Amino acid sequence: MHPRSPLHTGNTFMKKIGKFLSSMPFAIALLVLLAAACALCSTIQQGLGYDAYAAQYGERTAGLILALRLDDAFHSWWFIALSGFLCLNLICCNLLRLPALLQRIRAFRSPEKTAAGKTDAAAKGTGDPGKIFSALRLPKPTEKNQGACLFAASNLPGFWGAWICHLGILLLILGFALGQICMKQYTVYALPGQTKEMEDSGLCVTVDDFRVERTEQGTVRQYTAALTVSDPKTGTQQSTQASVNAPANVYGYKFFQNSIGWGADVKVLKNGEELQKEALCAGEFFAVKDKPELVIYFPAFYPDADSREQGMSDSTEPVNPGYLYQVYYQGQILGMNVLRAGEELTIDEYTVLFENPRHYTLIVAKQDRFTILVLLGGLILLAGLVLAFWMVPRKVWAIRENERWLIYGRCLKNGALFRETFEKAAKESGFEPCLPEEDNRKEENM
Amino acid sequence: MLQTENVCFTIIAIGYFALTILNFAFVAMKKEGLAKTAFWLQAGIFILHTAALVLRGIGAGHWPMTNQYEFSTSFAWALCLVSLIFIRKYHFPVLGAFSSPLILLMIGYAALQNREVRELMPSLRSSWLAFHVSTAIIAYGAFGVAFVLSLIILFRGKMKEDGFWGKHIPQPEKLDQISYRSVCLGMLFLTLTILTGAIWAEQAWGSYWSWDPKETWSLVTWIIYAVYLHLRLRRGWRGKAAAWFAVVGFICVIFTYIGVNTFLPGVHSYA
Repeated sequence: MHPRSPLHTGNTFMKKIGKFLSSMPFAIALLVLLAAACALCSTIQQGLGYDAYAAQYGERTAGLILALRLDDAFHSWWFIALSGFLCLNLICCNLLRLPALLQRIRAFRSPEKTAAGKTDAAAKGTGDPGKIFSALRLPKPTEKNQGACLFAASNLPGFWGAWICHLGILLLILGFALGQICMKQYTVYALPGQTKEMEDSGLCVTVDDFRVERTEQGTVRQYTAALTVSDPKTGTQQSTQASVNAPANVYGYKFFQNSIGWGADVKVLKNGEELQKEALCAGEFFAVKDKPELVIYFPAFYPDADSREQGMSDSTEPVNPGYLYQVYYQGQILGMNVLRAGEELTIDEYTVLFENPRHYTLIVAKQDRFTILVLLGGLILLAGLVLAFWMVPRKVWAIRENERWLIYGRCLKNGALFRETFEKAAKESGFEPCLPEEDNRKEENM
Repeated sequence: MLQTENVCFTIIAIGYFALTILNFAFVAMKKEGLAKTAFWLQAGIFILHTAALVLRGIGAGHWPMTNQYEFSTSFAWALCLVSLIFIRKYHFPVLGAFSSPLILLMIGYAALQNREVRELMPSLRSSWLAFHVSTAIIAYGAFGVAFVLSLIILFRGKMKEDGFWGKHIPQPEKLDQISYRSVCLGMLFLTLTILTGAIWAEQAWGSYWSWDPKETWSLVTWIIYAVYLHLRLRRGWRGKAAAWFAVVGFICVIFTYIGVNTFLPGVHSYA
């Protein structure tokens, strides 16, 4: 009788649906589609706009890319749907397989049901059959029929390999999906001494110090940011350090030293008197204190403006600093240029000066409580693979017929390789390998 | 140290060339003795290759798996190791005749790369580098051997049926199972590669998976081999049909390794 499973108990239509969802052809089709989608989408730069795609591929293709959401393929409805169906397939497959799997394990380790099953190898002779069992590293055989039948099976956990793999993959996908939905991630960039709010998290990050360690050859060895994270609500704070490959862990968030950029101090003088001083990271702007319609924007910093002008690569150190600026008045651009060190920009009674170029650090703060689920899924998947590939269930049974022993072997996978090992063990134990079909009385005697 | 490694590399390249010639001679002349000589020559080159990698590691001051040259010579080393194990374990000397040209190709590719030792960028200064890249080269080596075995499965029918081939090439069922074992080894190590890479990326960049082209193509390769493993469970898909999938899988491996770096730059562009 076929084992009953949750999906076998419904009406015929539901049975058909369940059978289809758990079927291997469906799984293979999904895997092929996912692989093809990943391969295709890796060739299309993600996150660009229509103009960029149109310039690269032409207008018609750009329209198609946006219509099919290929610009953000891995978050598109169809990719999520494919992944969802794969999860459904894995769940149905594992649920449906479970009763059948348990029955298979019971049948495999049952001496009574063994003889009726498939045989991969056989041997006959009058020697001690125990030698074959030990040569094949099987446990001590159990005896039946007053010692006329011997039976041993090993590597039974191997039956669970594929089932555990599926469970691991399911947890991986689930953990990743939940992480994407629930993850909190903030980006904070600041010059040493600056404090920035972490948006809606309620936390503030102060960059106390930022160090760039270099090797003797001048290349960067490590970036390290000394941080103080504070919670204004509770009035508490914690100091910590984040460097590449060594994130800090405070207030339930991980703080990663992600990247760096350039920043500088910008001074505004009014009639020769200092009116305002701002520390700006490249990409930031500010409004002049007593004339808010006048805005100074600092788009970029060039450590070696001379090399850049000559079309050579920029330096990593500020040897000939150049500050790219833009000035806006009432939303209209007044002008833009590169200011060299010591040069001033004069707008009516205001003078603008850029100085003290230095690195800012970009910190990523992240809270993803489902990372552990992904890790667990990965470890379960590994365990499943080891079980599936290296714990292949096998069994050997021997039947005494008068003075002669007929010995049979069965391996769930790799029958041809097992046959070789079995025959070698048989010969070494004084038995003669034969064809499994040679003696068809095995079923009657077991 | 690096000069000695350079000399060793030249000897290794010549050695793999000699190995390929010797293996071809074994197949052409059908002399058993040549197969044994080829096996021991391969074992000798493997030892020298290991020594060269150790010298490179000491000279560079880091694991020798951080740029195209280092990875390709390590890839050839892994191919050599896995094929030696499979030749020995399954008494299959003809495998050497098919795997040595692939090793030679990979060492030739390594020879074309820039051998300059560069300082590692901060994100590569991690103990995960050793785990991540060494599991990748073992996976690639195992998939390389599976590819070679699949070619043997596909071309077996075209080989003249005589005593030599009958003796030295296993029956289709066994050949298919040896290829399956190789894919299993590769699959386990590729899974380890992806997992260790994810753990490392989480530490370095704060994101264990960011759909970088290298990550995406590793996943594509993993899926292709997963399809191979599933197809083998279906009646009529073992043997040649499965072998075709192993060939496609290895094309994905090569694209992940060389093609992605060339055509699809991402955070792994240094590799």
